Amino acid sequence: MSAEKSTINRGHELQVEVGQKRTNPLAHVFDDLMNFCRSRSMFMLHYCTGCGAIELPPAMTSRFDMERLGIQPMVTPRQADILLITGYVSIKTLKRIMLTYEQMPAPKYVIGICSCTVNGGMYWQSYATAKVLKDYLPVDVFIAGCMPRPEAVIEGLKVLMEDIKTGRANSWKKYFRNYDHYLGKQQQLFGEAWQTPTDIIAEARRYDLITDQTLGEHTALLEKHQQPMEALEMRLQGPGEKQPL
Amino acid sequence: MSVSHLIVELVLMPLVAFVVGLGMVLMMRKIAARLQRRVGPPFLQPIYDILKLYGKQTQISHGMIHEMGIIMAVGGYIAAETLLPVPGMDGLADKGGLVTLAYVMMVPSLGLALGVGQCANPNGSIGISRALTAMLAYDIPFILVIFGVAWVYGTTNLADMIAIQQQGGPQTWGVMQMPLLALAGLITLPAMLGKHPYEIYIAPAEIATGPMVEMGGKFMGGLFVMQCFQIYTVGVLYTTLFLGGGENWLTFLAKIFAVVAVPMSIAYLFPRYRTEDVLRLMWKWPVLIGLVGLAVVMK
Repeated sequence: MSAEKSTINRGHELQVEVGQKRTNPLAHVFDDLMNFCRSRSMFMLHYCTGCGAIELPPAMTSRFDMERLGIQPMVTPRQADILLITGYVSIKTLKRIMLTYEQMPAPKYVIGICSCTVNGGMYWQSYATAKVLKDYLPVDVFIAGCMPRPEAVIEGLKVLMEDIKTGRANSWKKYFRNYDHYLGKQQQLFGEAWQTPTDIIAEARRYDLITDQTLGEHTALLEKHQQPMEALEMRLQGPGEKQPL
Repeated sequence: MSVSHLIVELVLMPLVAFVVGLGMVLMMRKIAARLQRRVGPPFLQPIYDILKLYGKQTQISHGMIHEMGIIMAVGGYIAAETLLPVPGMDGLADKGGLVTLAYVMMVPSLGLALGVGQCANPNGSIGISRALTAMLAYDIPFILVIFGVAWVYGTTNLADMIAIQQQGGPQTWGVMQMPLLALAGLITLPAMLGKHPYEIYIAPAEIATGPMVEMGGKFMGGLFVMQCFQIYTVGVLYTTLFLGGGENWLTFLAKIFAVVAVPMSIAYLFPRYRTEDVLRLMWKWPVLIGLVGLAVVMK
């Protein structure tokens, strides 16, 4: 516990403020160039959980053509920059969303499409639906509507583009800074033994994004229940066969 | 030629190849977009993509071999560029020749296989096994074609081939002297590029882009760079063998862009072939046409 304390203190000293930039003038130029490239080349992973997914094909194909803005669909979290969550999120789905989100390389952005991601929408009274998406992971842009039309989706993506270009889209840092809060909300839904393969605390340390909200009672609970990840057992087994020794 | 002159050429040739390759990637994406009645990406889109991928803050490496694999994939093509003569620069073309080039062009696939192997993702393993099978499919007609071309010109030296074709004018171009081999080469071209309809090893919806499944950040950026080189290499090789190389940069660029545009324009007519269909198609038609072409040129 004392080791943890010391890292918290170190994090405080090195803490990077939101919007703070380096002092070297060339670093500014480089940062601006990178932000511009990031805003003009967004690879999106569309996690199609609900009805909003049906509005994405017209937004990507001939009618509205997202590629002219540099937006392309990608298929794995490793390659993606944006996570599009298109519709209501059941508790079981949310586990997969968390796994996907944590595997995406930073800087990463989340867009919640449809009213269901804002406040539960028509699933407000459902027992199996996670209502407010931003309780569980930081969201950059919400696109409300039931469902929003492709014009609205592209409008939302343009807002995100502008935010990235000006350096305001920093929600991915929020996840590291307030990990204890997000983990607590996740534990409420998934139980105390919830864990993911990605070591968020180590990543936060790597980016110097540790604050006093990163570690807390929930991360202590995680540490208590955490089991080392092991590779799955390899088995070649036909139906009705006994496993060979 | 002095050593310093050679070194300048060895640096310049891959750089030129990269810039031209970026243009080719843009052209392919534009053609695809126009065929689908879309606007397509903006002019600098390939550069934005590569810069962004290299500028990612999280770079997830799966180990030493993963990184070496990407270096092999890009490095293999950089080596290939120094063997391909362009107007005004011959590089190592005199010393290398067609056989070395055919060997060097296989290195990137093998490097990719090594790198993907360490990622230990089953989708990646499926993808790379399909990619290597596809390589087996298109290499047979490819070797037939370059054997026929070397037989006709009596040399494996690419610089000599270009000199022979440029002295005789367009009627001595490879495409006039051995039209059947040129046709076989043209059918093999899209398979070498790994584009529609031969992209079963990428198959985004089924195996999540196969070899690229675990690649993010600079690794993906490396693969984007490799793609630029790959398209350039295939285009320049076809131009050198059959279209008389380039008299100057203007005709050279016009020829290589036209060569790459042909397979891209018909790519979306066909649905994706399965691996065994690729093998059957490649070993049947280009090999058949290539063998007839060989018989004609060897008499």
